Amino acid sequence: MEELTLRKFESYCTQEDPPACQCRCPVHVEAGQMLAKLASGAVDEARKILERYLPLASLTAFLCDGACLEKCLRANLDQSVNIPLLEREIIVNGRATRLYPLPPTSKRVALIGAGLSALTAAYELARRGHKVEIFHLSTPGGTLNSLAEDKLPPQALVEAIDLLESLNTDFNQVQSFEPQWFEKLKKEFGAIFLSLDDPDLLPQSLGLNGELIVDPVSMALKDSNDYLFACELTQSYPMSNLISSGKKVAASIDRILQGANLTAARENEAVRESKLRVNLTGRKVIAPIVPSNSGVYTTQEAQAEADRCLNCSCLACVPPCPLLRSRKGFYPKKWTREFYNNIITAFGIRHSNININSCSLCGLCSSLCPNGFNMSEFIDLAKLDMVVTNHMPVSAHEFALEDQLFSNSKPAYFLRPQKGFKSSAALFFPGCQLTASLPKAVRDLYKYLAANFEGGLGLWSACCGAPGRWSGRRKFTDSTISLLRTDWEAAGKPEVVLACPSCRRFFLSEIPFIPIRSLWSLINSLPLPSSAQPFSGELSIHDPCAARLDTEGQEAVRAILSKLGQKIIEPTFTKTTTLCCGYGGLASLANPVIGQQFVLERLQSTTEPIVGWCAVCRDRFKEQQHPALHPLELLFPQLSPKEAMEQKPPTISDRRYNRAAFAKEMLKDIWEEEIEEEKTMNLKIEISDKVMDDMERRRILISDVTAVLEYTEVNGPMFLNPESGRQIACFRPRQVTFWVEYEKKDDLYIVTKAWSHRMILKSAPGPSLDSPATLEGYARSGGRV
Amino acid sequence: MGHAFAKFDAEGWNCKKCGRPLTPCSVNVEYMGSSFFVELPGCQECGFILIDDELALGRMLEVEKLLEDK
Repeated sequence: MEELTLRKFESYCTQEDPPACQCRCPVHVEAGQMLAKLASGAVDEARKILERYLPLASLTAFLCDGACLEKCLRANLDQSVNIPLLEREIIVNGRATRLYPLPPTSKRVALIGAGLSALTAAYELARRGHKVEIFHLSTPGGTLNSLAEDKLPPQALVEAIDLLESLNTDFNQVQSFEPQWFEKLKKEFGAIFLSLDDPDLLPQSLGLNGELIVDPVSMALKDSNDYLFACELTQSYPMSNLISSGKKVAASIDRILQGANLTAARENEAVRESKLRVNLTGRKVIAPIVPSNSGVYTTQEAQAEADRCLNCSCLACVPPCPLLRSRKGFYPKKWTREFYNNIITAFGIRHSNININSCSLCGLCSSLCPNGFNMSEFIDLAKLDMVVTNHMPVSAHEFALEDQLFSNSKPAYFLRPQKGFKSSAALFFPGCQLTASLPKAVRDLYKYLAANFEGGLGLWSACCGAPGRWSGRRKFTDSTISLLRTDWEAAGKPEVVLACPSCRRFFLSEIPFIPIRSLWSLINSLPLPSSAQPFSGELSIHDPCAARLDTEGQEAVRAILSKLGQKIIEPTFTKTTTLCCGYGGLASLANPVIGQQFVLERLQSTTEPIVGWCAVCRDRFKEQQHPALHPLELLFPQLSPKEAMEQKPPTISDRRYNRAAFAKEMLKDIWEEEIEEEKTMNLKIEISDKVMDDMERRRILISDVTAVLEYTEVNGPMFLNPESGRQIACFRPRQVTFWVEYEKKDDLYIVTKAWSHRMILKSAPGPSLDSPATLEGYARSGGRV
Repeated sequence: MGHAFAKFDAEGWNCKKCGRPLTPCSVNVEYMGSSFFVELPGCQECGFILIDDELALGRMLEVEKLLEDK
């Protein structure tokens, strides 16, 4: 992946842009953090933050003119947080942070005039170790001396001057400013700053008679050879602008003295608009706290006022996503950096492989992000990169890839025109998961569609290829697309009717040349099947994440349920913001823990049974013992709705069996084709529910156990426990070695344990430990070698 | 890595073929291009090696994942 790609994705996430108040503040005080400290009672910590941004804070905090107030987002709810008054509170009650100036340098800087900008510049320069000499006519402070006591306590200025003197700054009172004196000064000092906010200093007195033009970034005077600097030249000299002028000038002079570029990377010093997006929905109105003691807050009042700060942040996508919130303080920008660093790791462990493979590609972040940041697009690129560089963990997706190959090979795959037709006006493509979960309902659905369809509706039982794409395997996906394309072209390039939302998304992005149609719109255009019956209670409708943007499908499913008389309720997150069940992107396969968090998140707010129009979503809800139905179970019921929603979901072995059985039954019943039975040993095998549960978690198929036992039948077991009578055997039919512990009673195998590993024991003789079959060959044979 | 699986617990299990109890055997294990020797219970005579469920689903799985992330 190119770094530019990372930057592009990063730019969509605005979480790291400072809040509006901080961008508007001329010195960019991090008000959110400061007020959070103050609200929690940590006033010393609050002062530390203030002093980090505000030069000579013990003086300047009294002079802040609150430019931030116009930008505070709380103004949209009630009234801006009174940050200027709280800054005073922090300075009055917080302990000053101990200063650690840098070691003295040999550089000398002259400041002419002793206005506010000179004092702040002197502070910043002296802290950096430079010798500062201020030349002034009258009392230092300029106009500050004439401020009323309630605006600026007189001791604040005195203390500020004392502090500067303790910091290697000399105050030199002179009788007058003159051109010759100024020329002499130029030869003596590394840089000179003109504090034009000091009313005593007139540029003409220094012989500067032309118009003075100040560069807004560096504050350098035009044509001064980056040697003379001045504060901002305005009529009114707002206090906060003078403070920021002093700070900017000090930074410029420091750059000049160190030989650094004067203007590079300074764009964030200017006042600007914040890009941070903040959602105010649900934020409470809190009336501003009015100071009870003649304009000054008590400690409690200050804390309460500080607590009104919204602590602006975006994080719109983080709370609902189990992956994005799985690391504290992380948001998309940090995650993309983490993922990028992971995939460019040259040596060592790629710790975030698991996180990359934990994204369900559900697109919820994109729906919630004000800028449309889409993590699934980034993850897609990251996975492609991992596969190409051979860094994709092989075990993460292997089971799904085998499943895909199984669905697209002999026992399960077929394409036939409608019986009695030579060609097809359209093909119905139920998808591999629907035939795995609801084979009988799909059978009835096809018969119903075919009876109502003009021109012939063929049937195409296959996997679209989405799992391969989710795993980042481009070549694998391309070979699936090639298979589908060949058969579709041979069928006369008809329109394809899609039932599965993931198939629909895959067809749209990967096989766009095949025209598609929504099953749900088609059903909605036909009379309801006579078998249709609603559930007596309310059902919570669930839109699959792949159908997040499929408004046509969403509306059609609701219309069908409405015609059926089915009462439905909408969950909080629905349609474009629907929550993923965790199967998407094969997240639950690569990381079962996060997969479960996804599904539990969806179930959290729902007590009613669910009706969801994706077979996998339905099954994953059922796995969590939440009653769930697919709409086809209401339209073509095999059981009553109550029985159907409480029936156990199919196991991984059932799913493969159902796909093959669907093909076999349909080809026999409708097309009158006999499928040759596979030759097996027909061993009698007994597996308890507990062992089946373990096998389900470990992704071990019944056919895997059968393969071990068939091998054992020929070659004998390997180990025996004389006391229990149990035996152990293993077999490695592909990239995995399967182990089975069993008891044998006459010709019955009673399986007591099944487990597997992927490591190869090279020196161990006995059963073939090198894979005798390719992954593809094994899967196509349904697990038999 | 040499002793990554240095755990011997195959009590009660004998080699089915020759009836001998299992004893520690040095075995060459390979995954993702990494190869190393570990001691595992097995039959000295027949060379059968036993990897029980605890080892396969515990430490061995951890090492497999580690090697996949390397």
